[in-house]
Amino acid sequence: MREYRLFNSILVITAFVLVGAVFSVAEADTEVNCLICHKHRGLSRIDEQGKFRLYYINNEMFESGPHRRNKCHDCHSDKDRFPHDPTVKVDCTQQCHIVEPSGQAKFSHKPIADTLSKSVHGKFDADGNPKKYQEDYPGCKDCHDQPLYRPVSVYKGETKDGVSKRSIGRCRSCHRTGYFAEDFYDHVTSRLRRGRFPMETINVCAKCHQNQEFLKRHELDDAVTTYKETFHGKLIALGSERTADCLDCHVVEGENTHLIESKLVPTSATNKANIGNTCRNSDCHVNASAELSSFQVHVTYERDKYPMQFYMLIFFKALMAIILYFFLALIFFELLRRLFPKFSFIKEKKTSDDTDFEPLSDDADK
Amino acid sequence: MVKLLKKLVFKLYVICLMLFTVWYGHFMYPLIFGFEGKEEAGESLKEIIRTGSEEETMFSRLIAEQTETSQTDLGYRVIDESYIEGRFHHIGFTLQHDNTNVCIRCHGSVPHDGSKETRSFLNQHAFYLACETCHSRPRAGAETWTFNWYDKVTGKITGNPRALVEIEEMFTHEHETEQYPTYGNYGVKIAPTQNDSGIRKLLHGEKEMALAERYIAEQELLEPDQKTAMKEVLHRKVSKDHPQCRECHNQEDRYLPFEKLGYPPTRLRELVNVPVVNMIQKYQKFHFPTLLESDEIEK
Amino acid sequence: MMLINSGDKTMSKYDPIVMKDGKRYFYRFSAHQRIQHVVLFSSVLVLAVTGFPLRHVEEAWARPLYDFMGGPEIAPMIHRIAGSVLLVLFVYHTIYWIVGFIRNDLGKLKQENRLTVGSGIKAFFTQEMVPNMKDFRDIIHLWKYLLYFTNRPPRHERMSWREKFDYFAPYWGIPILGPAGAILWWRDEVSHVLPGWILNAAYIMHTDEALLAILFLFFVHWYNVHYAPEKFPAAKVWLTGYLTEDEMIHEHYAHYVQVMIEAGLEDEIKPQHFGGEHYEW
Repeated sequence: MREYRLFNSILVITAFVLVGAVFSVAEADTEVNCLICHKHRGLSRIDEQGKFRLYYINNEMFESGPHRRNKCHDCHSDKDRFPHDPTVKVDCTQQCHIVEPSGQAKFSHKPIADTLSKSVHGKFDADGNPKKYQEDYPGCKDCHDQPLYRPVSVYKGETKDGVSKRSIGRCRSCHRTGYFAEDFYDHVTSRLRRGRFPMETINVCAKCHQNQEFLKRHELDDAVTTYKETFHGKLIALGSERTADCLDCHVVEGENTHLIESKLVPTSATNKANIGNTCRNSDCHVNASAELSSFQVHVTYERDKYPMQFYMLIFFKALMAIILYFFLALIFFELLRRLFPKFSFIKEKKTSDDTDFEPLSDDADK
Repeated sequence: MVKLLKKLVFKLYVICLMLFTVWYGHFMYPLIFGFEGKEEAGESLKEIIRTGSEEETMFSRLIAEQTETSQTDLGYRVIDESYIEGRFHHIGFTLQHDNTNVCIRCHGSVPHDGSKETRSFLNQHAFYLACETCHSRPRAGAETWTFNWYDKVTGKITGNPRALVEIEEMFTHEHETEQYPTYGNYGVKIAPTQNDSGIRKLLHGEKEMALAERYIAEQELLEPDQKTAMKEVLHRKVSKDHPQCRECHNQEDRYLPFEKLGYPPTRLRELVNVPVVNMIQKYQKFHFPTLLESDEIEK
Repeated sequence: MMLINSGDKTMSKYDPIVMKDGKRYFYRFSAHQRIQHVVLFSSVLVLAVTGFPLRHVEEAWARPLYDFMGGPEIAPMIHRIAGSVLLVLFVYHTIYWIVGFIRNDLGKLKQENRLTVGSGIKAFFTQEMVPNMKDFRDIIHLWKYLLYFTNRPPRHERMSWREKFDYFAPYWGIPILGPAGAILWWRDEVSHVLPGWILNAAYIMHTDEALLAILFLFFVHWYNVHYAPEKFPAAKVWLTGYLTEDEMIHEHYAHYVQVMIEAGLEDEIKPQHFGGEHYEW
């Protein structure tokens, strides 16, 4: 990678020569050539929809993910001239030049798209009829930005974030050609954990499942806000990677994460028949009974849906309000009383059976 | 005397405590009744979005949208960057907006939308050049300008940015760094400055900003012809004769003194040999038929 | 919160009035009780700083505070240890109370040969920590005084109603917080006995009761012992175990008069006052 960058920078320095010499045809199709313009951070405009469009490509970021061996042109196949023609949307399901190593076919994201279409997020129902509000159903880019590797290093029993140079060195002793060792290492170790930090996964779901307009259209509860009220959500917000995020409960253990199904579907992870095992899966509540799953995650505190929570909340809030505001008022008036200690509407006199009482005298304040 | 003072201090303390009590009551309220508050906030945003025609909705949404940032945690490093809706590629940095430039007050920070060929490139320059750097010219016979960097946040003139030197170091120590040099987001911008009784001041400084603010505040009360007149005054320093690409991007005589502005040798070589400018030249007859012409026509 | 008990009242280890530098100090808490208080407040503070970042994750201080307390791996452990300490203290104090009651109150009755079921129950309800009708009258009286309808502040016994409230707040809070916390801690094991939705109930109980406790502590209790003008910056009774004469007059005038009479100091009883400028600081 580094050599590649050095090469790149030399190219940039002498690019004007190259531009003339190498690409005498009016086509811009290599990494270097695109970056001549797209390396500039401010390359941008406001489009007709009022959206800010930034055309900057951060090459360092691009090279940190599994797409790094793709050329710009592999996805943006319509970009063959400058100024660019109006954009054709990138099709993620197209075949790319890489041969998928477990088989002989060219690599494509099409199987993922097929899985997605079978899930609750697919645009068509089981009978093949289009669902209502088609445009609300997600495509690849609604959940994914450019993927980045999250490699881990395991050495002498210690697991750390990042690449282990030692391990790569050992791979390289046999796999000498090209970037095979680096790519394989990054790819495999990133797969040993979630591709994204749990909070990022939650934010992805939140784009729709916390969007009030969307929820109203589809008659759904706010799954994300309610989830964030649970200890799972809170620990993740505080940086934990060890508690359950959306996918842990909504995808069957071992299943493709794109296959999220409605709890009404018998094979769904959250179906009544399976949810016990979802909680008790091998990484989570192993010692629990299936009864644990009657814990309610998405509690909205609505009176009809969650009466126990509703009344408990009312009780505690009332208790808190009464006690705290009573004492607050008491303290406030006590302080006020201290400002004018001698004043009183009714002055009580000393009585005969009250030998030790002396009304507050003026001296008392001195 | 001391007694009186003590009494005063005491009363003051009691009053402060009373205020603290009131504050605490106010502070507690959302903690006790927190859950409902959140829903109300969501409700008001819905209200904004639900109004009127497509244009109105778009407008309301743009107003309601705030500059968001996103965080990507790779474990060995965390990437903080601006979130731009619908964008696939990571940008890897946080956009810094210039809130101090007077032109941006009305024209915004991404102002060029004219020709398809140039708009993005010109907006790119707006990242590190103040508008007046190109859209104003020193008057004949007037004192020549010097160019300095100013801070995007404070609006104060600063020294040359350290970021430029760091980019140079990345080039020279390519093997020791994981960073890839990218340009533009230095937190500072180049602007012409003038000598104002011994102090170096921006050509478009606080005075101009005050005028613009006054115009914005009072424009509703102005007669249409007054408006035109005031706009004329506001734009007096704007010159139609703005520098062409090659006035700066050339080997010999440059409008902007890159060396003085702190550009290190490697970057300087790139700037004066700018591949884009050269590419434009090479490709003119193929796919860039009008790019340079558009400049020439204005001349 | 005060851990006050009738137990040590009759012990002779502490003199009811001590003279030091020409000032009178009145006995209030034994060393035993003071130590229990220190354990109580340290564990509660630790519980608060390891628990509240979770309750209010959206606040800016939550993440740094939680990281300071060890982050998602260590902080829960600290929280559980502190919670266990608090529960143990609760049980210990309850035993301490019962033992004190049997030894002192019932013991005294037995000595006097008056111990019956009726007198035993009566003794239980006349312990100084147990709320009674006088407390109710005192509350009304205090409001009358605060609203300037009388110039005569209420006279409290050894335990005022406010202190009783302070005392019973953890006595109500810990039985709610403790078991709820334990259920959340041993959720997997509990699920074999109780349904999962019990965790929902435990969650609300634990978080809301904790908020009540902390809001109460940080304002009401801290007002009583820190912020109040005569206490500022802090009352010393939790360290020394003794009240000053001014504090005694202000907070426990009835008790003050009684102690003074018992000590044969009727002539030196000072008139009542209500805090205020009487304290020079």
